[in-house]
Amino acid sequence: MPTGEYVMKSFHINKTDLKAAAINLVRNLPITIEYMAAATLISTIFFHFSNNVTNISIIYTLAIIMIARATSCYGAGILASLFGVFWVNFAFTYPYLTLNFTMSGYPITFLGMALISSLSSSICIMITKQNVQLQEKDRMLLNAEKETMRANLMRAMSHDLRTPLTSIIGSSSTYLSQEEYMSPEEKRKLVRNIEEDAQWLLNMVENLLSVTRIQDEKGVASVAKADESLEEVISDSVRRFRKRFPDVQVRVSIPDSVIIIPMDATLIEQVINNLLENALFHSGTNEPIDLVAAAEKSALSVSIKDYGKGIAPDLLDTIFDGGGTSENHTGDGHKGVGIGLSICKTIINAHEGEIHAGNHPRGAQFTFTLPDWREY
Amino acid sequence: MNTKANIIIIEDEKNICNFIETVLSPQGYQVTSAYTGTDGLKLIESLKPDVVLLDLGLPDMDGLELIQEVRSTSTLPIIVISARTLERSKVAALDLGADDYLTKPFGTAELLARIRTALRHSQRATGTQSLKYEVGNLLIDFERRLVKVKGQDVHLTQIEYKLVSLLAQNAGRVMTYESIISKIWGPFADSDNQILRVNMAHIRRKLEENPAEPQYIFTEIGVGYRMREE
Repeated sequence: MPTGEYVMKSFHINKTDLKAAAINLVRNLPITIEYMAAATLISTIFFHFSNNVTNISIIYTLAIIMIARATSCYGAGILASLFGVFWVNFAFTYPYLTLNFTMSGYPITFLGMALISSLSSSICIMITKQNVQLQEKDRMLLNAEKETMRANLMRAMSHDLRTPLTSIIGSSSTYLSQEEYMSPEEKRKLVRNIEEDAQWLLNMVENLLSVTRIQDEKGVASVAKADESLEEVISDSVRRFRKRFPDVQVRVSIPDSVIIIPMDATLIEQVINNLLENALFHSGTNEPIDLVAAAEKSALSVSIKDYGKGIAPDLLDTIFDGGGTSENHTGDGHKGVGIGLSICKTIINAHEGEIHAGNHPRGAQFTFTLPDWREY
Repeated sequence: MNTKANIIIIEDEKNICNFIETVLSPQGYQVTSAYTGTDGLKLIESLKPDVVLLDLGLPDMDGLELIQEVRSTSTLPIIVISARTLERSKVAALDLGADDYLTKPFGTAELLARIRTALRHSQRATGTQSLKYEVGNLLIDFERRLVKVKGQDVHLTQIEYKLVSLLAQNAGRVMTYESIISKIWGPFADSDNQILRVNMAHIRRKLEENPAEPQYIFTEIGVGYRMREE
């Protein structure tokens, strides 16, 4: 039995442990006294109505267990046990108000009670300590999980960064070394590649930068929110998107009323941008993209719909997990969806909203919600 | 114009200076680069440029300090070029007297447009105020306090008209929330920009076809508003 070991261990204490135990005992003395006083009070009332000593012993044993639970201190448990045994003998067994251990069979009662109370108190303390250890372990596991997530993100990122960088370095060095042998169209094509990839890198950097705006408070992600006007945030994000992709059509529809909503606008713009960009690159069509905002009772929802080939059903469950390019599922070769979407999810979660991916009859649809909107 | 506009670039990154010079020289601008703030200030003193392009992160001093220094003696247009994406530093630069800002990276078309705007405004400041704003289907007659969309009169409240005309007079430049509030509601007004937002929303509903896709007044999130110039 591990209990035995525990009890044994408590007898092999060195000096500093002893000192710590003494301090701990003194600190827990008030609680111990309170519980014992309460037990004594109840016992006295009980004793008034019936002279049953067994029940009174039980009351004391209960009090001792509770003390052990409340204090997690061996000393307090032992002290309480001794007090209980002596006090029961002194006050509640005949002859009253004297200590008498010579009664027939009493030494066994005495020993039994002392043993039961010290054992149960040590079990209690052990359980409490184990609980603390378990919590510690959980926390360590959680930290390890976070570390793994971070490492995964870093790995996915460096892969995603390397691809466009390879193309930029390749195109520019080709241009520099082969300039004389290339036709103007070929040159133009190379430079256009460089521009495209650099733009893509820029967006990636903005995504990473946006993560730094999210604070982590005891494992809960949070953002600095300010009241923003919905139409301003949406129109600004769409304007930026159009500046980058002048040929892409985006149809915007928002509620007529003026809607103010607390958010970190830079981050929400990043989410809208990522979703629009996804709709452009992964839908496989040039049809217009719809952006629809609707004020619903509980939250404001913003949907981005494309009219392309939709999302493969087996991707739906993990699309926000940042898996990205592990398998080039769609085969369109465009750099990963992964990080953009996982950042969207992080941002929306930090706003206490929700984000979902799904398919509508003619394509893919992403919807996110934000709480606490107001109408003006 | 027979005299070329003189532009000074104060930027420590030589590649960026090179790229800007390559863009501006063919447009007929005379461009000089300075790689430190101290050199920049000396050049401003000696060359009396028409526009300064200023990077905020300089090796020897903070760009914000430089703005303050220049503003203590002159109103020459300063366009801030900054990699700082935080709105706060943009707003700080604008409130210290910078005329406009561009966030790195920026396109060449945007850079040229901002320089043109800055030049136009600095010329106008010395000459007369414009009497009319006419862009797309929107017409504002500052003398008669009239606003028309597609030839139809638009009725604006007093505050709304003040807001629109302030932005129109400064068309092409970004106006920070703070500067708009102090110009419309006075310097001691509550700096809470809720009332400004709501007024802007009403204006948008009166001037724009689709308030979600404005054609005339654009929002720069976290900074302010910018009205279309051409």
